[in-house]
Amino acid sequence: MPMCVLNLQRSYKYMMYATKQPSLRINQADLKCKNGCGFYGNADWNGYCSKCYRDHLGFEKQKKQGQAQLEKQKSNAFTKFEEKKKHQSDKKSKFLPLFRKPSNLKELEKPHRNSDLKHSNPDADKLMAEFMLTFGQLSESLRHDFFKYIQVFIKRIQTDINMNKPIEDVTEVAQKYYNTFNNGLNTSSTFKDLPSDVRDQLLDFFEKYVMTILFSSLFCPNSTNDEEKDLIIQERIRKLSWVNAHHLDCCISETSIEVRDLVYTAITDLLGMDSVKAPLDKLNCVVKCCRSVMEVLQHCQGGPASADEFLPALIFVVLKANPARLKSNILYVTRFCNDSRLMQGEAGYYFTNLCCAVSFIENLTAKSLNMAEEEFDAYMSGQITCVSAWESALVACEGMHQLRENLNILKDLSQRTTIVQEGSKMLREDIEKFKNELNETVSVVMERTPLVIKPRKSPISLNPHHEQSGGATDVSLRKHDFDQSEPENLNFYHQNLEIGHLNDYTKENLQLDITPCTLIAENASTISVEPTPEDHSHNSFGLSKINYDIDFSDFSGENSMVEDLTPERISLNVTPDPFGPLGTSSAIFQEPLVPLNTSLNVQEKTDSAKSKQQYVLPLVEKLETTLLDEDETDIQNLPSPMKPMSSYSGFSKQGLQIPSIPCNTGDISYLNAHSNASTSSKDDS
Amino acid sequence: MSGGPYNYSYIFKYIIIGDMGVGKSCLLHQFTEKKFMADCPHTIGVEFGTRIIDVCGQKIKLQIWDTAGQERFRAVTRSYYRGAAGALMVYDITRRSTYNHLSSWLTDTRNLTNPSTVIFLIGNKCDLEAQRDVTYEEASKFAEENGLMFVEASAKTGDNVEEAFLETAKKIYQSIQDGRLDLNAAESGVQHKPSTPGRNNLSSDNQGSKDNCSC
Repeated sequence: MPMCVLNLQRSYKYMMYATKQPSLRINQADLKCKNGCGFYGNADWNGYCSKCYRDHLGFEKQKKQGQAQLEKQKSNAFTKFEEKKKHQSDKKSKFLPLFRKPSNLKELEKPHRNSDLKHSNPDADKLMAEFMLTFGQLSESLRHDFFKYIQVFIKRIQTDINMNKPIEDVTEVAQKYYNTFNNGLNTSSTFKDLPSDVRDQLLDFFEKYVMTILFSSLFCPNSTNDEEKDLIIQERIRKLSWVNAHHLDCCISETSIEVRDLVYTAITDLLGMDSVKAPLDKLNCVVKCCRSVMEVLQHCQGGPASADEFLPALIFVVLKANPARLKSNILYVTRFCNDSRLMQGEAGYYFTNLCCAVSFIENLTAKSLNMAEEEFDAYMSGQITCVSAWESALVACEGMHQLRENLNILKDLSQRTTIVQEGSKMLREDIEKFKNELNETVSVVMERTPLVIKPRKSPISLNPHHEQSGGATDVSLRKHDFDQSEPENLNFYHQNLEIGHLNDYTKENLQLDITPCTLIAENASTISVEPTPEDHSHNSFGLSKINYDIDFSDFSGENSMVEDLTPERISLNVTPDPFGPLGTSSAIFQEPLVPLNTSLNVQEKTDSAKSKQQYVLPLVEKLETTLLDEDETDIQNLPSPMKPMSSYSGFSKQGLQIPSIPCNTGDISYLNAHSNASTSSKDDS
Repeated sequence: MSGGPYNYSYIFKYIIIGDMGVGKSCLLHQFTEKKFMADCPHTIGVEFGTRIIDVCGQKIKLQIWDTAGQERFRAVTRSYYRGAAGALMVYDITRRSTYNHLSSWLTDTRNLTNPSTVIFLIGNKCDLEAQRDVTYEEASKFAEENGLMFVEASAKTGDNVEEAFLETAKKIYQSIQDGRLDLNAAESGVQHKPSTPGRNNLSSDNQGSKDNCSC
């Protein structure tokens, strides 16, 4: 380590670092070549500009070669890197004859390898595309010449690499070729007519092309210890992670969010240097980084930054960025970037500053940070650890980032939820719509076919077939039904007929009367009114029938039902006939009473066939049978019609109450059991 | 093997990826320095380390890129996936979120590396058994489903750290021997030993090592 420092100090002899402690302030003059030629110098060129460095190198080399041969004889033990390098170059020169054979072999393989390189390298294709894009308008011969230069260059460099030439020699060759090409551009008949900016572009592209192709051999070459240097500076910067802006006497405020963002931009630019291949691209990364640093300073100071403030800020950025392979990158650029670019201009200035920053980091001591030796040592050894604002900000940044990430996830989730909600809403609407449509359709269908209900009402007749008849409204159908029901009811018909035989006149009346009766029964059932009210009506009308007043009122009333009922009641009265002669007599009485012409008209319309239906009404019969006792009382009271009306009305009231009870019970219970009743009635008869 | 500082036949390029704070840098440090680095500063961008190992009698130089876990530097770190022969994907067994992010890391790796890249899943901090948040079984199931190699390791104690790096190297070396990994392809992540005099000599070397190789 002391040896290293000594070396560095010697190499910076003409720069501030050599005479003083590494300082944060440098003069413009210190950045220039120590030969005083006016170009920017560089630490890696021992403070010379590239041109002077090469002259210097050539001189040194001659000296070394003389020395090395002596050393070689003295001892074979070489431990230091510098010596190893020397050893290599010696080896190369010494054993060159021995190596001729293998190198010849390689040369034989080389064309193959070259073509391999070109074909397998995706970079080459990309570069070609870029060339065509930028210089596509140039003539064929020009392009041909351009690529001839490139081929020659690549071949030459590859030969040198394969011969294990030290990287300095390769550099020299490369720079020589750059010059040759530049001269060619200016003098050759194919190029010299081009505008100067196109020629500059071609020069830059030439460099970019060859360096991208040769990157893997020239970057961090195996013949050097660049990688070790990288590791050393990486470790060094890691150890210096505690250094903050305050230590560097730098005005960057680490707590401000805007500043931090700008610093991060600068850091990202600097980190990008390792990701690109061409030296000029790397240089551009440095320029971009330094511009960002300038911006940071402007932001912190609220005005343009001076060069004095720039270097500390750049050092801070380099310390925080800890760029990968920093040394390799710097060395690669100094070696293979066209000297003319590095020695002047903005890029040259910034790059030199970067080199200064790196050498400051390599050599900084407690003094250069204005702190006590002990404290510095404690920091460096890790005894004191402090979480800098920068560090915590970084963690906070990550926390913020995670927060944002989670927020995004939540946002996404809520979006998805709304989508689902909308979907469900739409589904609900669809369901509603469908429901409405269905209802509408149903109602339309209902309107169109209201009869669906009617046929349901019709099958009042006890025959289950009626229900099957469905919507059949035809009278014929009904008739048919009635016919069907005929066999069942036939007995009753005959019974009644027999009853009728007793008195022909009665029979005729019976027929007439009975028909409307069945109709009424039908109607009653279709209205789906329970037999109770029907019975009530029966009773009330039937009884009121006896009161002539009421009959007349009925007659006056619009209700034809009354008339219909009347015969029914009559039939009710008639049915009991079989039980006694009184019943028949009562029927006879009623006949003339029926208000009856109107009712007769109605009755006449009905088919005689229909009249059969009346026999369907065994219930009536049953009712009568159950009422037998009462009937008897009625019969006993028969003479009552002779009496004044008033007395009859009172009686009718009585009658109203009495038969109502059996009617109800009879209707419901006997509906099903009518056959039994009929048989019983038969028996009775 | 030839003498000098370059006594290795291959360079394998590795990357280490995973969430912030899972211990990527510590794993690398444990592997290269055989020491646990407490108070490791956060990695910005990328850092790298090297070590020469021995696989099946071949000296192989591992060039390991330790990437930053922060999302902010994802753009920078992505450029390092290209040309990686091995990818060590690290999570922290005591923090489930780092495990949950594995799928996105895996997607990145699959998209940015070549198909022959060997991916090794490492559950770090297995010394903190008491704070375990991710079971060995589920992680090993995840690894199996995605065709990854898997091990639980501890950068602090050094458990399984060597194994993870060496197993990956072994797998890569096998791919080379099988011819699945094309050395001439750009971005293969493997470089043959440079400047070895005599190609025939080298190939016979390879031949010999193949015979000796137990794997």
